Amino acid sequence: MYSTITSGTIYGIRSRLIQVEVDISQGLPGFQIVGLPGSEVREARERVKVALKNVGVALPAVCINVNLSPADIPKSGTMFDLPVAVGILTALSRLPAESVKDTLFVGELGLSGEVKPVKGVLPVVREAFLKGIKRCILPQDNAWEGQLVTDMESIGVADLQAAVRLLTGAEVRPARTERQETFPENDDNDGSAEDFADISGQESLKRAAEVAAAGFHNLLLVGAPGSGKTMLARRLPAILPPLSAEESLEVSSIYSISGLLQSSGRLKTKRPFLDPHHTITGRALVGGGRIPAPGVISLAHRGVLFLDELPEFKRETLDILRQPLEDRQVRIARSSGTYVYPADFMLVGAMNPCPCGYYPDMSRCRCTPHEIRRYLRRISGPILDRIDVCVEVRPVEFADMTGQPGKESSAQIRERVMRARTVQAERFARTGIHFNADMRAADVGRYCALGSREQAFLEKLFASMKLSARGYHRILKVARTIADLAGADRITEEHLAEAVCYRNMEVFNV
Amino acid sequence: MKKTETDKAYLNWIYRNIGMGSRRTFERLKSLADPEQLYRLALQGRLADGFDRKFPHKNAACREKLRHMEETARQSDVIGEYEQMLARGIRFAVLGEEEYPRKLAQTADAPGALYYAGRLPDPDKKTVAVIGSRSCTEYGKAMAREFAQALAQADMQVVSGMARGIDGLAQQAALEAHGYSMGVLGCGVDVCYPPENRPLYEALIASGGVCSEYPPGTGPRAVLFPPRNRIISGLCDSVLVIEAKERSGTLITVDMALEQGREVYVVPGRITDPLSRGCNELIRQGAVPALSPKELTGADVPGRRTAQAADDMRGRILGLLDYQPQTVEDIKQKYDAAYGTISVSGLYYELVQLCAEGTAVQTGGRYGKKG
Repeated sequence: MYSTITSGTIYGIRSRLIQVEVDISQGLPGFQIVGLPGSEVREARERVKVALKNVGVALPAVCINVNLSPADIPKSGTMFDLPVAVGILTALSRLPAESVKDTLFVGELGLSGEVKPVKGVLPVVREAFLKGIKRCILPQDNAWEGQLVTDMESIGVADLQAAVRLLTGAEVRPARTERQETFPENDDNDGSAEDFADISGQESLKRAAEVAAAGFHNLLLVGAPGSGKTMLARRLPAILPPLSAEESLEVSSIYSISGLLQSSGRLKTKRPFLDPHHTITGRALVGGGRIPAPGVISLAHRGVLFLDELPEFKRETLDILRQPLEDRQVRIARSSGTYVYPADFMLVGAMNPCPCGYYPDMSRCRCTPHEIRRYLRRISGPILDRIDVCVEVRPVEFADMTGQPGKESSAQIRERVMRARTVQAERFARTGIHFNADMRAADVGRYCALGSREQAFLEKLFASMKLSARGYHRILKVARTIADLAGADRITEEHLAEAVCYRNMEVFNV
Repeated sequence: MKKTETDKAYLNWIYRNIGMGSRRTFERLKSLADPEQLYRLALQGRLADGFDRKFPHKNAACREKLRHMEETARQSDVIGEYEQMLARGIRFAVLGEEEYPRKLAQTADAPGALYYAGRLPDPDKKTVAVIGSRSCTEYGKAMAREFAQALAQADMQVVSGMARGIDGLAQQAALEAHGYSMGVLGCGVDVCYPPENRPLYEALIASGGVCSEYPPGTGPRAVLFPPRNRIISGLCDSVLVIEAKERSGTLITVDMALEQGREVYVVPGRITDPLSRGCNELIRQGAVPALSPKELTGADVPGRRTAQAADDMRGRILGLLDYQPQTVEDIKQKYDAAYGTISVSGLYYELVQLCAEGTAVQTGGRYGKKG
């Protein structure tokens, strides 16, 4: 007898539907799985055999052949246990063939027959839905992930018997009660009461954060230890616009693949904030492994990647970020194929201006010019070229601690940020550009045109402040964002002046 | 005594081999015979013996060097090497000849010879060494520029070490005011150290000079720098200290200057500034506080910009700026306290305008008054 079950696998960030074909024939007793199975897929054999025995299905002495089609895609993960078991039962006519049609099966089996949660359910269910499948049978613990996909009938099962009862019609499936019909409200207030109002003073720092958030510009915070760089960075997601429904599914899919979605038990609606330690390796940052797992930069997709103590990161590690920062995605080549992960994040770096932290206050700085140069040189020019907004943070003083808390809450700042984003969305409609930061040189010419007066002003600044030509486009892009925040159509002198103050090369010209 | 170029070629050979670091041996060798004769003695292997006979003392290291000279004399192309050096614009002045800087020659520890490129300072003009810390504040930079410019305008010569910070800035300013400046290097005169001062180095060779007691090709090594300080002070009539920490190489130069009987002027600073501590200490010990370039030049110089700033927003901000650069946050806080709230973007606009005008200067994310 022969049966076909629909399942899926994760291939990089993408998911593919896989047909699990099971054939049972007379012959030398055996159990093979073919179709490029990874070692965990190959081990499904033993798990399925024992699980079937423990739920009371004694396998007859037959030859079982399982093929995972298409057979040329490498398969990994433990998702195939349940579909293989169901396929065998169907081929043995223990289950009606009709009952498994147009149904997606995903799940790992325990030896007792229980169905355990797996990674990457959400993207697989999404893919199945796009391919016209209307029902899926998932591990109980993952059922909610399937329910996130609207109009998909998603059923959770706790063990193999439950699945059998369900498919034979012995048990009416439970009514879906927990289904999230609508996109959940923003869950910013989930206990992390981090707000911009907590930061007293530091107006210039907050302003820079607002500008960076509005145009999705990469941000560099320079300042002595204890000046509130980390405090600010942690609050950045709160002033970024909430994830849209589409973005939320996208981000949640990445987290699902990495097995990080289960703990939260809900769709990601808050922008991710990732702050890897500076000892992180390049592999961990961009993703690695034989079948690469998404790296930290992909987990920070649509969110903030915060690199504290930037010069302490290995230079090679930082340089790996060059391509993702440019392309907003990361490509990892393996013998099994090229994997593309999204990596559209906002880079926020924090660093001391010199090893002791006090430069350019020469009355306190004890570093030699050589030491400072060597310290700053750890960050390569190409990385600096991708950072649009740089701001120097002043150490917090006692008066700041005791003074009035900040006047503005994150919500107020976010409102302005979102207005600026609306302006950008209208301007860049159907251009593939999302934010001012994404503009290429040619776009800058089109969208950041200056009047003759402003042009003359900028030329004057270039001459008198010894600006480098490399930063020209960055200044214009940031000026565009500042103008958007002000609700201005045209870039004025004031916008340019502020943008000039955010350039970073000066800091590094020791 | 006018040395012929041939003599100098041989002296250069002797100096390179033995003179550096042992001025006494160099002088004794010079007194022994003509330079060319010394070379011939070396060729015949009789130099060390002859030296021993005349100066019978047991100096093994010296003897070793003389023996080495005898061994290598045959292979050295004394005249050719010297001519090559001249062709590269490097000249050689030996203590005792006309060319050698007169003021330096009168000091006790003058080097046996000097290599130089460009011109040597005019002995008849007043010469001032402007020295200070490598890591200086905006205040120090401003003062270095102001004093050096005034000195140059008063037709005085500025000597310094072409180092980062005060030294280089003072020399730069002197050259820009069409004055003369001499850089005393701690490496060969054909080596530019620190490398970022290359534009200054080239400007010095073109319209001033660089000199060194070390032969061309000598690389910069830490041990070579302190001894060159005696040349800086030796070339001058007086020494001006702009900024120095409590323990600083600058103070070594001051000690040497005092030994050589030079007058020491010091630009005072705030008593709280670590970079002024050395200066203020010198004043306590009796150095002359230099309250304006007039102290050195004796002439009136155009006064510092003290004109009352306009009482608009920009003027007020300028009033809040200091030579010590401050963060935007600090400036904003001061402004808010004094005149009422200013927006961050408004403040940026005014600061940029001030920078464009040239009255303020940006360092990293900080802004200070320009000197």
